Amino acid sequence: MQIASTRFGTIEIRDDAVLEFPDGLPGLRGERWAFVAGSDDSPFFWLHSVEHPDVAVPVTSPWLFVSDYEVRVSEEEARRLDLNDPSDAYIVCVVRATENIADFTINLAGPVIINAGARVGRQVLNDVGGYSVRHPLFSEVELNEVQPTRSAVPVTAAAG
Amino acid sequence: MLVITRKPGERICLGDDVTITVLEVVGQTVRLGIEAPAEIPVYRHEIWEAVKEENRAAAGASIANLPSSNKNNRSTP
Repeated sequence: MQIASTRFGTIEIRDDAVLEFPDGLPGLRGERWAFVAGSDDSPFFWLHSVEHPDVAVPVTSPWLFVSDYEVRVSEEEARRLDLNDPSDAYIVCVVRATENIADFTINLAGPVIINAGARVGRQVLNDVGGYSVRHPLFSEVELNEVQPTRSAVPVTAAAG
Repeated sequence: MLVITRKPGERICLGDDVTITVLEVVGQTVRLGIEAPAEIPVYRHEIWEAVKEENRAAAGASIANLPSSNKNNRSTP
Protein backbone atom coordinates (compact mmCIF):
# COMPACT_ATOMS: atom_id res chain seq x y z
CA MET A 1 0.00 0.00 0.00
CA GLN A 2 1.05 3.59 -0.45
CA ILE A 3 1.23 6.26 2.18
CA ALA A 4 1.73 9.94 1.44
CA SER A 5 4.16 10.66 4.26
CA THR A 6 4.52 14.30 5.16
CA ARG A 7 8.18 13.59 5.88
CA PHE A 8 9.18 11.25 3.07
CA GLY A 9 6.62 11.80 0.32
CA THR A 10 4.97 8.78 -1.26
CA ILE A 11 6.21 5.48 0.20
CA GLU A 12 5.19 2.03 -0.98
CA ILE A 13 4.79 -0.25 2.04
CA ARG A 14 4.60 -3.98 1.53
CA ASP A 15 1.82 -5.78 3.34
CA ASP A 16 4.33 -7.89 5.26
CA ALA A 17 5.96 -4.72 6.61
CA VAL A 18 2.81 -3.51 8.34
CA LEU A 19 2.75 -3.98 12.10
CA GLU A 20 -0.48 -4.10 14.08
CA PHE A 21 -0.52 -2.20 17.37
CA PRO A 22 -3.95 -3.14 18.78
CA ASP A 23 -3.67 -0.51 21.52
CA GLY A 24 -1.84 2.01 19.36
CA LEU A 25 1.22 3.89 20.50
CA PRO A 26 0.37 5.77 23.72
CA GLY A 27 -0.38 9.42 23.07
CA LEU A 28 -0.44 9.05 19.27
CA ARG A 29 -3.09 8.20 16.69
CA GLY A 30 -3.16 4.98 14.73
CA GLU A 31 -3.07 1.22 15.16
CA ARG A 32 -1.06 0.22 12.09
CA TRP A 33 2.58 1.15 11.80
CA ALA A 34 5.62 0.36 9.68
CA PHE A 35 9.34 0.90 9.98
CA VAL A 36 10.65 3.44 7.50
CA ALA A 37 14.33 4.29 7.04
CA GLY A 38 15.65 7.46 5.52
CA SER A 39 19.06 5.89 4.92
CA ASP A 40 20.62 2.43 5.19
CA ASP A 41 23.55 3.33 7.33
CA SER A 42 21.90 5.25 10.14
CA PRO A 43 21.26 3.84 13.60
CA PHE A 44 17.89 5.61 13.49
CA PHE A 45 14.74 4.84 11.62
CA TRP A 46 11.10 5.74 12.00
CA LEU A 47 8.05 3.97 13.31
CA HIS A 48 5.60 5.50 10.85
CA SER A 49 1.81 5.43 11.06
CA VAL A 50 0.26 3.73 8.05
CA GLU A 51 -3.05 5.50 8.66
CA HIS A 52 -1.86 9.01 9.48
CA PRO A 53 0.75 10.36 7.03
CA ASP A 54 2.00 13.01 9.45
CA VAL A 55 2.56 10.70 12.44
CA ALA A 56 5.96 9.06 12.95
CA VAL A 57 8.50 8.73 15.76
CA PRO A 58 12.26 8.13 15.49
CA VAL A 59 13.34 4.79 16.96
CA THR A 60 16.55 2.86 17.38
CA SER A 61 17.92 -0.34 18.81
CA PRO A 62 18.68 0.57 22.43
CA TRP A 63 21.71 -1.78 22.63
CA LEU A 64 23.57 0.31 20.08
CA PHE A 65 23.71 3.04 22.70
CA VAL A 66 23.27 1.34 26.08
CA SER A 67 25.13 -1.93 25.82
CA ASP A 68 23.90 -3.38 29.12
CA TYR A 69 20.25 -2.41 28.68
CA GLU A 70 17.83 -4.98 30.04
CA VAL A 71 14.17 -5.51 29.25
CA ARG A 72 11.76 -7.71 31.11
CA VAL A 73 8.23 -8.07 29.82
CA SER A 74 5.54 -9.20 32.22
CA GLU A 75 3.76 -12.46 31.51
CA GLU A 76 0.57 -10.55 30.82
CA GLU A 77 2.28 -8.33 28.24
CA ALA A 78 3.95 -11.35 26.65
CA ARG A 79 0.53 -12.98 26.36
CA ARG A 80 -0.99 -9.85 24.80
CA LEU A 81 1.78 -10.04 22.20
CA ASP A 82 1.38 -13.80 21.81
CA LEU A 83 5.12 -14.05 22.51
CA ASN A 84 6.16 -17.53 23.53
CA ASP A 85 9.83 -17.38 22.66
CA PRO A 86 11.97 -14.36 23.63
CA SER A 87 13.87 -14.72 20.35
CA ASP A 88 10.68 -13.71 18.50
CA ALA A 89 10.78 -10.32 20.20
CA TYR A 90 12.24 -7.42 18.30
CA ILE A 91 12.75 -4.39 20.49
CA VAL A 92 13.21 -0.71 19.67
CA CYS A 93 13.01 2.42 21.79
CA VAL A 94 11.57 5.82 20.92
CA VAL A 95 14.10 8.62 20.48
CA ARG A 96 13.41 12.26 21.22
CA ALA A 97 15.40 13.96 18.45
CA THR A 98 15.98 17.58 19.35
CA GLU A 99 17.77 20.36 17.46
CA ASN A 100 21.10 19.45 18.98
CA ILE A 101 22.10 15.80 18.64
CA ALA A 102 23.96 15.94 21.95
CA ASP A 103 20.59 16.46 23.65
CA PHE A 104 18.87 13.42 22.09
CA THR A 105 17.18 11.15 24.61
CA ILE A 106 15.86 7.59 24.44
CA ASN A 107 12.89 6.12 26.30
CA LEU A 108 14.32 3.08 28.08
CA ALA A 109 11.35 2.80 30.48
CA GLY A 110 8.82 2.19 27.70
CA PRO A 111 10.33 -0.07 25.02
CA VAL A 112 8.37 -1.03 21.91
CA ILE A 113 8.15 -4.82 21.72
CA ILE A 114 7.32 -6.45 18.41
CA ASN A 115 6.43 -10.06 17.84
CA ALA A 116 8.37 -10.30 14.59
CA GLY A 117 6.61 -13.44 13.42
CA ALA A 118 3.07 -12.24 14.09
CA ARG A 119 3.93 -8.60 13.24
CA VAL A 120 2.11 -7.38 16.34
CA GLY A 121 3.53 -4.68 18.55
CA ARG A 122 2.95 -2.94 21.85
CA GLN A 123 4.72 -0.27 23.79
CA VAL A 124 5.06 -1.60 27.33
CA LEU A 125 6.53 -0.56 30.64
CA ASN A 126 9.85 -2.25 31.28
CA ASP A 127 9.58 -4.52 34.33
CA VAL A 128 13.26 -3.85 34.94
CA GLY A 129 12.87 -0.69 36.99
CA GLY A 130 15.07 2.35 37.26
CA TYR A 131 15.19 3.29 33.58
CA SER A 132 14.26 6.79 32.47
CA VAL A 133 11.80 7.79 29.75
CA ARG A 134 14.41 10.40 28.84
CA HIS A 135 17.84 8.77 29.07
CA PRO A 136 20.61 10.81 27.40
CA LEU A 137 21.29 8.91 24.19
CA PHE A 138 24.96 9.71 23.84
CA SER A 139 25.94 9.20 27.46
CA GLU A 140 28.02 6.10 26.63
CA VAL A 141 28.94 6.37 22.97
CA GLU A 142 29.59 8.93 20.24
CA LEU A 143 27.58 8.92 17.07
CA ASN A 144 30.53 7.80 14.96
CA GLU A 145 30.92 4.70 17.17
CA VAL A 146 27.35 3.57 16.59
CA GLN A 147 26.57 0.87 14.05
CA PRO A 148 23.60 1.03 11.69
CA THR A 149 20.49 -0.69 13.00
CA ARG A 150 19.64 -4.16 11.76
CA SER A 151 15.97 -4.93 11.94
CA ALA A 152 14.26 -8.28 12.48
CA VAL A 153 11.19 -6.98 10.64
CA PRO A 154 11.03 -5.36 7.19
CA VAL A 155 12.07 -1.71 7.03
CA THR A 156 10.80 0.31 4.09
CA ALA A 157 13.45 2.48 2.48
CA ALA A 158 12.43 6.05 1.76
CA ALA A 159 14.33 8.85 0.16
CA GLY A 160 15.15 11.00 3.15
CA MET B 1 -15.62 12.19 37.96
CA LEU B 2 -17.08 9.98 40.65
CA VAL B 3 -15.85 10.36 44.23
CA ILE B 4 -16.37 7.44 46.60
CA THR B 5 -15.27 6.95 50.21
CA ARG B 6 -13.92 3.50 51.06
CA LYS B 7 -12.38 1.90 54.13
CA PRO B 8 -9.58 -0.70 54.20
CA GLY B 9 -10.98 -4.05 53.08
CA GLU B 10 -13.72 -2.45 50.99
CA ARG B 11 -13.87 -2.75 47.22
CA ILE B 12 -14.82 -0.94 44.06
CA CYS B 13 -16.00 -2.70 40.90
CA LEU B 14 -15.40 -1.32 37.43
CA GLY B 15 -17.97 -3.28 35.48
CA ASP B 16 -17.92 -7.04 36.06
CA ASP B 17 -14.26 -7.58 35.30
CA VAL B 18 -12.23 -5.17 37.40
CA THR B 19 -12.16 -5.08 41.19
CA ILE B 20 -10.08 -2.66 43.24
CA THR B 21 -9.60 -3.40 46.94
CA VAL B 22 -8.32 -0.88 49.47
CA LEU B 23 -5.79 -3.00 51.32
CA GLU B 24 -4.19 -0.55 53.68
CA VAL B 25 -4.02 3.15 54.46
CA VAL B 26 -0.87 4.39 56.17
CA GLY B 27 -0.52 8.16 56.48
CA GLN B 28 -0.46 9.60 52.95
CA THR B 29 -0.14 6.19 51.29
CA VAL B 30 -2.95 3.94 50.07
CA ARG B 31 -2.16 0.36 49.08
CA LEU B 32 -4.56 -1.01 46.47
CA GLY B 33 -5.17 -4.50 45.21
CA ILE B 34 -6.29 -4.63 41.59
CA GLU B 35 -7.87 -7.64 39.96
CA ALA B 36 -8.34 -7.26 36.22
CA PRO B 37 -8.37 -9.56 33.19
CA ALA B 38 -4.93 -10.14 31.66
CA GLU B 39 -5.90 -8.20 28.54
CA ILE B 40 -6.33 -4.99 30.52
CA PRO B 41 -2.97 -3.35 31.25
CA VAL B 42 -2.70 -1.71 34.67
CA TYR B 43 -0.12 1.05 34.94
CA ARG B 44 0.82 3.76 37.38
CA HIS B 45 -0.72 6.85 35.86
CA GLU B 46 2.31 9.15 36.04
CA ILE B 47 4.62 6.65 34.32
CA TRP B 48 2.17 5.97 31.52
CA GLU B 49 1.60 9.72 31.07
CA ALA B 50 5.37 10.20 30.82
CA VAL B 51 5.52 7.58 28.04
CA LYS B 52 2.70 9.36 26.18
CA GLU B 53 4.43 12.69 26.57
CA GLU B 54 7.70 11.27 25.21
CA ASN B 55 5.89 9.80 22.19
CA ARG B 56 4.16 13.10 21.44
CA ALA B 57 7.43 14.98 21.77
CA ALA B 58 9.27 12.42 19.62
CA ALA B 59 6.59 12.74 16.92
CA GLY B 60 7.49 16.40 16.57
CA ALA B 61 10.84 15.52 15.01
CA SER B 62 11.55 16.16 11.35
CA ILE B 63 13.92 14.27 9.07
CA ALA B 64 16.38 17.12 9.47
CA ASN B 65 16.73 16.35 13.19
CA LEU B 66 18.22 12.91 12.56
CA PRO B 67 21.75 12.40 11.30
CA SER B 68 21.15 11.02 7.82
CA SER B 69 24.22 8.87 7.62
CA ASN B 70 26.94 7.49 9.79
CA LYS B 71 29.40 7.66 6.95
CA ASN B 72 28.79 11.34 6.47
CA ASN B 73 29.41 11.88 10.13
CA ARG B 74 32.56 9.80 10.07
CA SER B 75 33.96 11.77 7.17
CA THR B 76 33.32 15.06 8.93
CA PRO B 77 36.62 16.32 10.29
